[in-house]
Amino acid sequence: MTGEQPSPILSVEGLTKDYPGVRAVDDVSFAVERCTVHCLVGENGAGKSTLVKMLTGALQPTSGTMRVDGSAYQPTNPHQAREGGIATLFQELHVVDQLSVHENLTLGMERARFGFLVESDLDRRVVETLAMIEPSIDPSARVSSLSVAQKQIVEIARSASSGASIIIMDEPTAALSEREVERLFGVIRRLRDSDVTVIYISHKLDEIFELGDAVTVLRDGKHIATKPLPEVAGRSELIEMMIGRSVFQDYVPRATVGDEAVLSATGLNNHLLKDVSFHINRGEIVGFYGLVGAGKTEIARALFGADQCSGEIRFKGRKIGGSPKQAIASGIALVPEERRTQGLFTTLTIRENISVMNLRRLSDAGIFRSADERSAAVDYVRKLSIATDSIEKHTEKLSGGNQQKVVFAKCLFADADLLLLDEPTRGVDVGAKTEIYEIIRNLANKGTSVAVFSSELEEVLGICDRIFLLFSGALEAEIANGPDVDMAHILNVVTGGGGSVAP
Amino acid sequence: MTAYPVKAEGVLGSDHRMGDETFIASLVACVAVGLFLIASVFVPNFFQPLTMLNLVTNNWAVISLGVGVTFLLVSGNFDLSVGGVVALSGVLAVWFAQSADGNNALSTGLGFPYWLAIVCALGGALAVGALNALFVVRFSVPSIIVTLGTMMLARGIAQVITQGSQRNTNLPPEFGILGNLTMFGTSVRLPVVLMVVLLLVAIFIEKKTVFGRLTYWIGANPVTARLSGIDRAKHLTYLYLLSAGIAGAVGILLASEFRSGYSNRGTLMEFDALVTALLGGVAIAGGFGSVIGMFFGALILAVVTTAATGMILSPDWQFILKAVAVFLAIVTQTWALARRNR
Repeated sequence: MTGEQPSPILSVEGLTKDYPGVRAVDDVSFAVERCTVHCLVGENGAGKSTLVKMLTGALQPTSGTMRVDGSAYQPTNPHQAREGGIATLFQELHVVDQLSVHENLTLGMERARFGFLVESDLDRRVVETLAMIEPSIDPSARVSSLSVAQKQIVEIARSASSGASIIIMDEPTAALSEREVERLFGVIRRLRDSDVTVIYISHKLDEIFELGDAVTVLRDGKHIATKPLPEVAGRSELIEMMIGRSVFQDYVPRATVGDEAVLSATGLNNHLLKDVSFHINRGEIVGFYGLVGAGKTEIARALFGADQCSGEIRFKGRKIGGSPKQAIASGIALVPEERRTQGLFTTLTIRENISVMNLRRLSDAGIFRSADERSAAVDYVRKLSIATDSIEKHTEKLSGGNQQKVVFAKCLFADADLLLLDEPTRGVDVGAKTEIYEIIRNLANKGTSVAVFSSELEEVLGICDRIFLLFSGALEAEIANGPDVDMAHILNVVTGGGGSVAP
Repeated sequence: MTAYPVKAEGVLGSDHRMGDETFIASLVACVAVGLFLIASVFVPNFFQPLTMLNLVTNNWAVISLGVGVTFLLVSGNFDLSVGGVVALSGVLAVWFAQSADGNNALSTGLGFPYWLAIVCALGGALAVGALNALFVVRFSVPSIIVTLGTMMLARGIAQVITQGSQRNTNLPPEFGILGNLTMFGTSVRLPVVLMVVLLLVAIFIEKKTVFGRLTYWIGANPVTARLSGIDRAKHLTYLYLLSAGIAGAVGILLASEFRSGYSNRGTLMEFDALVTALLGGVAIAGGFGSVIGMFFGALILAVVTTAATGMILSPDWQFILKAVAVFLAIVTQTWALARRNR
């Protein structure tokens, strides 16, 4: 850097994005200095992904301006963003497995004469870029033979050689092993040294301290701070900026929690889970809290028998975990993570959805009792106040909140003694959220055990009696919920700070 | 088995609008009747009770096959093997029943008693169904590929057994009874009566039983079905066995009717059954459709082809007419359903 103040490569002024009823990004202004690794942190729902979508042209801001290298920048689609010099590395990779590394690098930029491909300087440039950032990758290798980390590097090389001056990386290490992370960091540092600015988004705070030059913290859509990282006093200051004092709590300790274990899991292991053991009591609401990829869904699916894993799961004394059918028969129901693709029959009616998990209650010798099915549907539509004018409405026409209530109705109709709820309020409006929490509390008060798998801290702190904290497949800590629960401790554990608070 | 307590349903349960399936089935029925009336205007001597009866009786085989194909389509799966199974089971029945002392290879069979020959031929058909189920369910191969393979396999075995020709000698006298037996003193033969019984049973299964409902759930969303405790593997196995069993029975009855085993019998029947189901409003993606719709779909096809041969057009035009009918019917259905659910 020269002595005079260099102009920032990217500056954002008063950027705002409104969705119906929500302001996802609220008057955010900050600047990213040239040739730095600039980190973006915040909890789920803080507005990071909305901000990135505006930078890449996938969304248009409601108001505010963006400038790249001093000139106005208003992309209306990802292609224009590329032309403006901003490339993005998404979590899902966009490489073609069947082609070679070289072919992937030049994809879409081929030169042709009379329909035949011809060599160009472009070829040389991409190969040079790749050799500069990661010499170990052979340009003639087939991409399908590369590891996930190597594929990422190929994609980064493609962005860099196409002349991008800013590369946005959204959680690039989520699927990488520790050694691969080190290699990726090496690549990022070399990029920075060769005049590329990296905007790095991660939940893993250690990575940010290791790699970042500056950090911007977002919370509830607002810009909290932008600081050079050397000026940040450790994890605790960062965590404090991320949560602020705004996390409200409405947890009331419940009297009806039993002390008799209804489910116990010992030594669960699979591709992600590492020796997970716990138990759940009768009438208890337990929470499993962790970031995306920490293993919440994997635990829920293992308990339900939807995925196989080693270890032992006992429910009411009997071994389970074979299949969803077995789980339902022994009294477990699952509200899955993706309601439209896993929880509902969207082309069928509310009535036809509610009955599926408890056919014995609706049939004699294999013959359906339609009248009973109708009464059951009406009953549950009333109980859960599902907003519809008829039980014959197709579930695809309901709002997200009402769809989720239908999935709940389905599980409640199964008369389960243990409910597994995977992200029970994702994509659900505030009103329906409150109603769903009320349903969960009422169930638990009647003796049903509930396990909530959530990446929203507020949700877990609001309803759970006991909380398990997960980080990359391991159960790191268990805490009892209460008025003086240590939020900083929780965030520290789930971001990889281990069981005890690091300085 | 406690009954669910019946409560006052009020306005929520009082939706008397018919379901989409009933709507489409009615639409298809109206089209079938309409086409019949139009044909009656143009074709001399078309508007007669005998013509109406013939429309059904001449198509008993395809309508019967359509039942199994419809159930599988509703579950989200194809069965293209039914035509091949018709050929295979017919040839097997003949081969098993031919006496063992013929004077050349094609007139020499295994000499089983007739009842045993039928049971074994049916077993051969079910084996093809089991093979379909095995590949679709255990090895997760797309059903269209699996049943395309078994379609050729079944017909291929039939061809080997008949050496590319026919087997029609040295059969016991009772072999020709089943396919030609007339019923109730009319010209209606046993296979047609069996088809009617099959249709009624299938409609009952579809509308009133857990088995029928499981088929819709699996077709509507296999992932949700699994997470709701439905054993998809078991159910699809039953459906493939059912479809192959029906095709086997059709093959045996046709062999009996003609007193011969012929490896080209039932050629293109798998596509007629598929077209019939699609004309009847069964969704190719699964989760939607009905046996009644399929039945009226078969009638549409029958009216179109019968009327054509009675009109100026030569029978050579029947494929083109079928094509036009299929396009029109499917476009109409898509349009009507979209309009209704707007």
